[in-house]
Amino acid sequence: MKTLHIKFVAAALLVLLTGVKSYSQITKVKIMATGLTCSMCSNAINKQLKSFTEVDSIGTDLNTNTFTVYFKKDNSLQPKVLKNAVEKAGFFVGSMVLTAKFHTPTIEDNTTLKVDDVTYNFIDIKTPVAHAETRYRVLDKGFVTQKEYKKLVKSYSKYPGYATENENDYYLKTL
Amino acid sequence: MKYLSIVFLLLVSFKIDAQELFVVTEPASNVPAGSIGVRVGQSLMKNQLESGSMYNLTPEVTWGINKNIMVRTSAFLSNQENGLGLKGGGFYAKYRFFSVDDLQSHFRMAAFGRYSYNNSFINQEAIDLMGGNSGYEAGLVATQLIHKVAISSSASYVRALNNSDYSFPDFLGNSAVNYTFSVGKLMYPKNYTSFKQTNINAMLEFTGQTITENGKSYLDVVPSIQFIINSQARIDLAYKKELYSSMQRATSDGVFLKLEYTFFNVTK
Repeated sequence: MKTLHIKFVAAALLVLLTGVKSYSQITKVKIMATGLTCSMCSNAINKQLKSFTEVDSIGTDLNTNTFTVYFKKDNSLQPKVLKNAVEKAGFFVGSMVLTAKFHTPTIEDNTTLKVDDVTYNFIDIKTPVAHAETRYRVLDKGFVTQKEYKKLVKSYSKYPGYATENENDYYLKTL
Repeated sequence: MKYLSIVFLLLVSFKIDAQELFVVTEPASNVPAGSIGVRVGQSLMKNQLESGSMYNLTPEVTWGINKNIMVRTSAFLSNQENGLGLKGGGFYAKYRFFSVDDLQSHFRMAAFGRYSYNNSFINQEAIDLMGGNSGYEAGLVATQLIHKVAISSSASYVRALNNSDYSFPDFLGNSAVNYTFSVGKLMYPKNYTSFKQTNINAMLEFTGQTITENGKSYLDVVPSIQFIINSQARIDLAYKKELYSSMQRATSDGVFLKLEYTFFNVTK
């Protein structure tokens, strides 16, 4: 009985340690969709977002077409999965803001963080972020309007990776 | 009565932007990927050639294959000869190839094609692939949405083939250009509070045709009102009126009642 208990603790510790190695916890994502003004269109997006098991609930502002996706505990989805869901409904993402905590001492301008097969690049960071939950805007193509993306490519020319399109590579800035 | 109950059983739809959920024309936007829309269209048209009127029943199923491609199959029933009977069917596909979306606005373009099969007796010069003629159609549609108003226009080439039991008459032109212009506006609500709110859209659509061989044309106007219930079901009421025609048509003026219901995320 006692050895079982120790085994359990050891297993739990192992899980905890490997889990801690490199993690990001996205608690919610605020998405503003573009190209629509009707509630039926919003509903199409709503139904797409609701179809994921990781999603706990969705808050909707129909007047601004803003969807706040709340994830279940220790569950989240990659930004591109949410973007694809909006596009499947027939629309596009105009803005996506992640509320997340990244396991790294500080996040400064040009910090790169690899979490599983995803790379987060932090750009345009004016004040370094300590280990805290912060709101980050996704700046990649498809996460901002086409117009805005063109502008961003120009203004972020000093970050050479920004204009390259790699769907597992995200560029984030703090809000 | 039997058909009426079928219609009510199948009730109601959904599609993309409500303002562009036109009643007799199609916007450049598609239905959501993975959704299945079931629509039952009914029309009662005044018969131009003899007394009385013609009743048409058009059940349709629309499927969003992916975000850019949707397909639709339709069945055409009418009481043209001895009671209500199946006159034909059609297949329609639309590919959205261009989108520029911004906050509460978009401009989209799509290419579409239609193939219809029909076994009705051909009694008019107008080519009607929605229940009168066998044939095919290919065209382009562009739609602009600005806040609560959608404007859409399409042009297509139409070619009539022989109907199964009746050859297309030699003395009639068998190819035509179809053109449409549609405007839709969200009238209610002014501000959204929930998905349960009924939306009301007002629309005005123009549909025209010119037979390429002889230049004969018609132009119809179709005002309509649309109710969207629970952000999932749709009721369209429309009235079609001929504005101009230089060709012989079996029917032109009449009323439409279309009911549609959309099942979201049916396929992945």
